[in-house]
Amino acid sequence: MELLCCEVDPVRRAVPDRNLLDDRVLQNLLTIEERYLPQCSYFKCVQKDIQPYMRRMVATWMLEVCEEQKCEEEVFPLAMNYLDRFLAGVPTPKTHLQLLGAVCMFLASKLKETIPLTAEKLCIYTDNSIKPQELLEWELVVLGKLKWNLAAVTPHDFIEHILRKLPQQREKLSLIRKHAQTFIALCATDFKFAMYPPSMIATGSVGAAICGLQQDEEVSSLTCDALTELLAKITNTDVDCLKACQEQIEAVLLNSLQQFRQEQRDGSKSEDELDQATTPTDVRDIDL
Amino acid sequence: MSQPPGDTCPVPRSSKACRCLFGPVDSEQLRRDCDALMASCLQEARQRWNFDFLTETPLEGDFAWERVRGLGIPKLYLSPGSCGSGGRDDTGGGGRRPSPSAAALLQGTMAQEDHVDLSLTCTLVSQPSEQPEGSLGGPGTSQSRKRRQTSMTDFYHSKRRRIFCKRKP
Repeated sequence: MELLCCEVDPVRRAVPDRNLLDDRVLQNLLTIEERYLPQCSYFKCVQKDIQPYMRRMVATWMLEVCEEQKCEEEVFPLAMNYLDRFLAGVPTPKTHLQLLGAVCMFLASKLKETIPLTAEKLCIYTDNSIKPQELLEWELVVLGKLKWNLAAVTPHDFIEHILRKLPQQREKLSLIRKHAQTFIALCATDFKFAMYPPSMIATGSVGAAICGLQQDEEVSSLTCDALTELLAKITNTDVDCLKACQEQIEAVLLNSLQQFRQEQRDGSKSEDELDQATTPTDVRDIDL
Repeated sequence: MSQPPGDTCPVPRSSKACRCLFGPVDSEQLRRDCDALMASCLQEARQRWNFDFLTETPLEGDFAWERVRGLGIPKLYLSPGSCGSGGRDDTGGGGRRPSPSAAALLQGTMAQEDHVDLSLTCTLVSQPSEQPEGSLGGPGTSQSRKRRQTSMTDFYHSKRRRIFCKRKP
């Protein structure tokens, strides 16, 4: 008797719905996206204890947790959106920052995933420095301060809308999508991008992904400049703004690659550490 | 802290992601800050809806509150009501808070009986607004949104530290 053994993905996914990819939806996303941006650049006007490098620390940790837990791609950027919106309104001591990050992942995961992260697991990831009970109480605090407005627009919401309007060979799409998603995650770790409209980050990320891939193989029939113009048209973005945004995105990648190589050099003493580099795995696949 | 069996993605034993980033967390300070922030949310909600959610009394303001009965709402969404006196977390056993613990509320262990009489609806009355009639003020558009009939029932729980602010993201 022959037996077939299949591994079944425990997550059941809905098939893509074409109706959600039409222009009406894109226009609505563009109309409402700004409502979910943080209200101010909070390091200047709200926070006294928290410094930009601390945001980077907590963001890097959150990204590691999301990757290790194989969260959906949107969970991390959405959690960062919650974190930024909370910090834009509430002065917070740095000792609460990791708890806040955990709460934001907890909420984003519940909103976006069929099997969400548990409070217990998130507490383990803080090295048990917080208790599940505290996480649940702060969940209510964060919900209250966000006015229960959790369905924020993220750059991921625009990716499919953009990709389907590009003159692209189908077989390259998944690679472009994967790289664009990595760029989006990178942007979320950098405060520079926190106040940018998600559509601009999405457009810049797709542009950076295609231009990056273009160097090795033909993925697009368009030149980089023509591509930028087309992208700008799709999301009604100013061409120069988009160019600047894409350059910033590429700079962030370069930065994070250098950081990774540095860590690799430092970490070569111990192989253990090498596995645990804080740079997202996917970035290593990208060549500038 | 143990992980449930059958977890599809357990925390790896030696995960480097398990780390405390900014030193020890002061539980007492967390508690104080949590209480203060919840109180401020409650205060915002009180002003937003001209309703005192702690004592469940309508206040002077734009919304006219009226009691409704028999909406056939699932128990889960109803107020725990009088169970506060018999609530485990009120009296001791680890719970030091004056109000039911958030965890107990989230797990729904406090919901006991129907208290339909606590359901209320509110109607916005004569508010001067620059917005045209019927405009859809989504989240964050304007503080002076025009809403004909807002049923608060689903949000509404007594004696809970709850937040009802629905203005801006």
